[in-house]
This record gives sequence, C-alpha cells and structure tokens, in this order.
Amino acid sequence: MRGEELKGHLDAMLLAALESGPRHGYAVIEALRQSTGGRLDLPTGTIYPALRRLEQAGLITGSWSVVAGRRRRDYELTLAGRQALSGRRADWRDFSAMVNAALEGSPWPSPA
Amino acid sequence: MAQPRLITGYLSALSAQLPAPVVAELADGLGETHLHYLRQGLDPDAAARAAVAEFGEPSLVIAGFAAVSPARRVARRLMATGPLVGACWAAALITGRAWAWPVQPAVVLLAGLVLLASIGLIVSAVAGPGYRSVVRAGLAGCAGVTALDAFLVVAVPLTAPAIGWLTSLALAASLTRLMFSARSLRWCLADAAFNLR
Repeated sequence: MRGEELKGHLDAMLLAALESGPRHGYAVIEALRQSTGGRLDLPTGTIYPALRRLEQAGLITGSWSVVAGRRRRDYELTLAGRQALSGRRADWRDFSAMVNAALEGSPWPSPA
Repeated sequence: MAQPRLITGYLSALSAQLPAPVVAELADGLGETHLHYLRQGLDPDAAARAAVAEFGEPSLVIAGFAAVSPARRVARRLMATGPLVGACWAAALITGRAWAWPVQPAVVLLAGLVLLASIGLIVSAVAGPGYRSVVRAGLAGCAGVTALDAFLVVAVPLTAPAIGWLTSLALAASLTRLMFSARSLRWCLADAAFNLR
C-alpha cells in the first residue's frame, strides 16, 4: 500500500504496533511489515517523524537506551494513546463496514 | 564494524539539518536495516544500498521532521490568525485617523519593516523543506510578531487621542496573540530541550 493511501491511517497503525509493548523505531516498522504481510510500502525514514508527532501529542512516550554502542529510542503507548487507538479502531470498523456495504453490497451491520 | 561510506554519507546529510538525538535515532534504525540486509546474505555495500533505498531520500526524512517541528506549528497558527489581527488593526487605525497621530515616521517605517519581515519568515517556516531553516524562521517570525504586538499594545493607548471599540478589539486581539506567543515559546523550548538530550 502506498503512502498516499495510508494518509490518515498511519498514526493508528503505529499505535497498534506499540500495543503489545515498547518497541524502538525499526522494530515498529518490522511489526507493521509483519502485520500487513509485507504490503506496507513507505520509506522507513518517514516513520520516525510520525513517531515524533505521536510523542508530541502525548499518545506515546519515548526513552533512550544504549544497545551495541548505539543510542536507541524506545516507544510505548501512554494511557491517552491506548484510548486513541481504541477510538480509531471503532471508527475504522464503522468506516470499513460502510465502504464494504457500498462497494460489495454487504449488509450494513444492524445496531446492537 | 565500520559502516559503509554510503551509510556515513547518508547520516552526514541528515546531520547537516537535524538535531543530534534525531540523527542518533535514525542512525540506529539505519544500522538495523543494514543488518537486516546483511543477514539476508547481501555483501556490505549492497546491504548499505538496500538500507539507504529503504529509508528514503534524506530530503524526505528532513521534510518529515520539519513538518512536525513546533516552530512550523507556531508559524501555521500565526499565519491563520494574522489576517484577522491585521484586519482588526487596519480598521482601528483607519477609523482612528492614525496618520494624524504624533508618531515619528521612522517608527512607522520600522514597524512596517518588522511586519513585512515577520510575514516573510512565517511563510518560510510554513513552506520551507529544511528543518533548521523552519525552526529559525518560525522562531524569528514569532519574535517579530511578538515585538509588533507589544509595540502596538503599549504605543497605541499612549498615542491615540481616544480608544474606540475597534481599537479595544485590536488591542484584545494583540494581547491574546501575545499570550499565544508565550505558550509557543514554551513548546519550542521543550523541543529544544529534547534536541539537547
């Protein structure tokens, strides 16, 4: 999937990649690749500014460590980040159900 | 293990624009990407080429960080609110016949130059691709607007023969923007503190 198509969804995908625990930037990218079956097609370097934006928004928090002589920044979800991810998931389910209903003729889920 | 020249060159291009902690984080990611390709059996130079290609052009990465810098956020807000504050002051100064106020022409000229320079800096901070230039232009533009607002808030009540409702509105707009500028400075300082870590 190309970057243009990912616009608006990348933040939620990054939050989801951090849901299972802290990860550094490259591990976040690897997790995204694995979860998307390798179909994610984004320049790796552009993930880091997105992580910075999420950190500025208070959705993730970063901490430094030193691994093999290199400085590494690990990220983890904050409480606000978990709440944001939950909200994004619910929005996405509604959105995808609506698009599926329009494109595939699948029935619109009835409210519980 | 010594890094291939391609990777050190890539990191040098990033270092020319981005703060050291950001480059350190990117260097770690690029190092991991390089290792990933080495594990796949590529020779060091081919792995470096693959890692750099996967990371994307340095200009793309730099533009990504410029886009999330607090200086750009501040510049965007100043650009969005500037026309409104400017319109308030234009209306206040025209209806108050400001050209008849006892103000030195040199002061008016200086204020006009600061205004023009601030607008140019803010536009540059919003549209510029370089990280350092965005930060410098954003901070300088914010400082220029702050100086102008402070000047208007102090000088107009002292100079104007009467303060009408339009002038009061313009003064309120400038005071609000002064408070916003103080907050903006705090964001930028927090970002600078991160970049010193």
